[in-house]
Amino acid sequence: MRFEGTLDIAAPRDRVWAFLTDPKQVTTCAPDVQSLDLTDPTHFKVVVKAGVGPIKGTFNMSVEFIDLRAPEHAEVLARGQAPGSAVEMRNTMDLVAAGERTTLRWASDVTVNGMIAQVGARLMQGAADKITQQVFSCIQVKLESPASAGISANPA
Amino acid sequence: MSVEIGGIGSSVKRKEDARFIRGKGKYVDDVKLPGMLYLDIARSPYAHARIKSIDTSKALKIPGVAAVITGKDLVPLNLHWMPTLMSDKQMVLPTDTVLYQAQEVAAVVATERYIAADGVAAIEVEYEPLPVVVDPKKALEPGAPVLREDREQKNNHIWHWEVGDKAGTDKAFRDAEVVVKQDLYIPRIHVASIETCGIVASWDKVEGKLTVWMTTQAPHAIRTVIALVAGHLGLAEHKIRVISPDIGGGFGGKVPVYPGYVLAIGASVLTGAPVKWIEDRSENIQADSFARDYHISAELAAKKDGTMQALRVKTIADHGAFDAAANPSKYPAGLFHIITGSYPFQKSFVEVDGAYTNKPPGGIAYRCSFRVTEAAFTIERLVDVLALELKKDPAALRMQNFIKPEAFPYKSALGWEYDSGDYGRALKLAMDTIDYAGLRKEQATKRAKGELMGIGISSFTEIVGAGPSKQFDILGIKMFDSAEIRVHPTGKAMVRLGVKSQGQGHETTFAQIVAEELGLPVGDIAVEEGDTDTAPYGLGTYASRSTPVAGGATAIAARKIREKARLIAAHLLEANPDDVEWKDYKFQVKGVPAKTKTMQEVAFAAYTNHPQGMEAGLEAVDYYDPPNLTYPFGSYICVVDIDRGTGEVKIRRFVAVDDCGTIINPMIVEGQIHGGLTMGLAPALYEQITYDEQGNIQGGNFMDYLLPTAMETPNWETAKTTTPSPHHPIGAKGVGESATVGAPAAIANAVVDALAHLGVRHIDIPITPWKVQQILKANGAAE
Repeated sequence: MRFEGTLDIAAPRDRVWAFLTDPKQVTTCAPDVQSLDLTDPTHFKVVVKAGVGPIKGTFNMSVEFIDLRAPEHAEVLARGQAPGSAVEMRNTMDLVAAGERTTLRWASDVTVNGMIAQVGARLMQGAADKITQQVFSCIQVKLESPASAGISANPA
Repeated sequence: MSVEIGGIGSSVKRKEDARFIRGKGKYVDDVKLPGMLYLDIARSPYAHARIKSIDTSKALKIPGVAAVITGKDLVPLNLHWMPTLMSDKQMVLPTDTVLYQAQEVAAVVATERYIAADGVAAIEVEYEPLPVVVDPKKALEPGAPVLREDREQKNNHIWHWEVGDKAGTDKAFRDAEVVVKQDLYIPRIHVASIETCGIVASWDKVEGKLTVWMTTQAPHAIRTVIALVAGHLGLAEHKIRVISPDIGGGFGGKVPVYPGYVLAIGASVLTGAPVKWIEDRSENIQADSFARDYHISAELAAKKDGTMQALRVKTIADHGAFDAAANPSKYPAGLFHIITGSYPFQKSFVEVDGAYTNKPPGGIAYRCSFRVTEAAFTIERLVDVLALELKKDPAALRMQNFIKPEAFPYKSALGWEYDSGDYGRALKLAMDTIDYAGLRKEQATKRAKGELMGIGISSFTEIVGAGPSKQFDILGIKMFDSAEIRVHPTGKAMVRLGVKSQGQGHETTFAQIVAEELGLPVGDIAVEEGDTDTAPYGLGTYASRSTPVAGGATAIAARKIREKARLIAAHLLEANPDDVEWKDYKFQVKGVPAKTKTMQEVAFAAYTNHPQGMEAGLEAVDYYDPPNLTYPFGSYICVVDIDRGTGEVKIRRFVAVDDCGTIINPMIVEGQIHGGLTMGLAPALYEQITYDEQGNIQGGNFMDYLLPTAMETPNWETAKTTTPSPHHPIGAKGVGESATVGAPAAIANAVVDALAHLGVRHIDIPITPWKVQQILKANGAAE
């Protein structure tokens, strides 16, 4: 399943890049994070709770930045399992600067196996849309709020 | 008199219902033993993956978890693989690769069912996904990923099977005036019995004896399989007791051996405690044996006047990851070659290729005596395609072609010898009952107004009662069946059988056979099945074989008793045995109606006053090897109305005329037909299990797998003709499956008939509202 979208953020590209490629910052916008464990600068493990329709699970995700070309292109591979289910996400993002604003183009190829794919197949699109909306509005709010300017002033 | 004693032909109320309607049935899950542990299974989310590691440490730390079993633990015991019934083998637990979603990966044994589930959730498995093959046609293409690395043959082809005269059939097609061809897919479905599968295994270390209570349709065969598979671990057949208690529906799904059974037995031996494993609903639908999944390409050659001449059928059978079908050994595609149906084809050729895919294993019969539904659906659909091609009435085309009553016993082009039949009589009765001519007039009027109404016929011939030992065996064990009857001194009898009821009413019908043969009231006869320590050996109940095979054994065992009883009666009557005859359910001195002895009097004498030189007692055993199969048949007519807005198919009327030979209990037969029709309606309009490209099951639970309920089920109208089997001891043929076999084609034919004027020739089942609506939209007929 492929999901994609574009987001216009009122923040400079460097600041957006720094936020999105920092596991600690970006996971603050992930849904229901239980724990975060940084392995090295390009690998981390995160435990999230997620659900589709009646099926909910705690996913142990291993995340890897497989292609980082600051400050314009990143590719992230996330693999994980919950009891009875497995998920693999290959995410790409491209940042285009427009003065003090940034356009984020993102795409996500998601492969789901097991219980969630069986029971949730017909609900997946709706659930994904909802989660995506939450994640990106969170990103937007955090990057556009004055308080975030200080955090992102330090280049990654 | 027959009715008074509850003999053959009486609608005796089901004796077993006294406990069922009170909720007093005893099922596997009712078995509770002291110190019993519970087993749960971790299953693969992937349809095809390499197992890189299994970490059981967290599960083992959970208080109450007694053991965790993985494939590696089974290797030293040589129990990681087990044989299937079809000369293939199946993983109990994988050591390196999983081949289908929901495949068993590890088992947890714990003091409570919930703790076992927690243990399963705590098992961490690292998988490396592999390419998935879900389409059997793609599986057979060169270069397809080879799924079964354990086999020497490096492709996904399991077997090729063919029957018939290929050259002669090809010639008939070359010379034919008319040829029609139709591709059909008969989708994967599941029996979805109300009770899922389960086992309680109890290993007694002191006695070296294993007792298992288990949902099995074939307890004796299971005992032998356990002895063969685990003999090297010290399990000997005389110390294995299989008890099959009350069963909530089998329909073929409780014939195979599932990994969960092996794991529970292994866990009991390992822990020394009794171990219970009961599947949940999703496990049952997702991992237990499926049915159907046949991709069929069928051709029929005929003369312009409608005379059918030849049949040619090519099929790909999707068996999933292992060939775990439950067919007789010599027939990898079951009895699919009954596909010539009710018609005297001169030439026929059928070939089937089995394929492996990344889906659960199976290919069981599902209430259809080994692929007979697939066969009946194909021929009955094809006949309608021919009728459309020739613009002939489908009823008239059938009447014109039927095998004539005087042609029986009839030898089919594919080698079967049909025992008896009168197909025209059954179809005529169905047509008269439903007013076929009137319906056709109504249809013409409605069609002129743009309303969609269809009439569908299915005149199927079944083949059941496997079977004669010269052709039929499972794992080498011949498909006879058995009955043991003991008449006690007070004239009460105990009957023990090698078959096993799953709801069919054996405690009633088999007692009726004995009542009829011995003149004892049906209430004085107890029937017991399913305990291998007490019942005689038999191959079990499936494929409508109980009445044809064990029914024959029961009648013959009773006749053996009657023969001995006649000698005792002569002794009591002080008459020459040659002068004593069985008349009106009593022994009587020929020509002297006043001098009689009842079976009760004889039974008492058998223990108190038997003739000198004769053995005391009154009992007999029979192992019945049927001389032939039996061939029940019927004609069904279905009337549907189609909603042009929603595409919904509404069954307005459904008349089922069945002929199963001699009927033991008309009420039970009618119940069997009602249930069978509903199970035939299900795949026609509702049920199917599909898979997405990654092998995710779509339809693995009751939210997605639509079973018809009372809401969907129409009012069934039943009628009968009676054409006894000439070779069966009581003339009975078996009826457990007829309706499931015959109904789908009648419904599909009715829907196609309603849409035929739009150019529709075929719709694959299940015929969902969506499919119909697409057709209506494409033809500008939607509202």
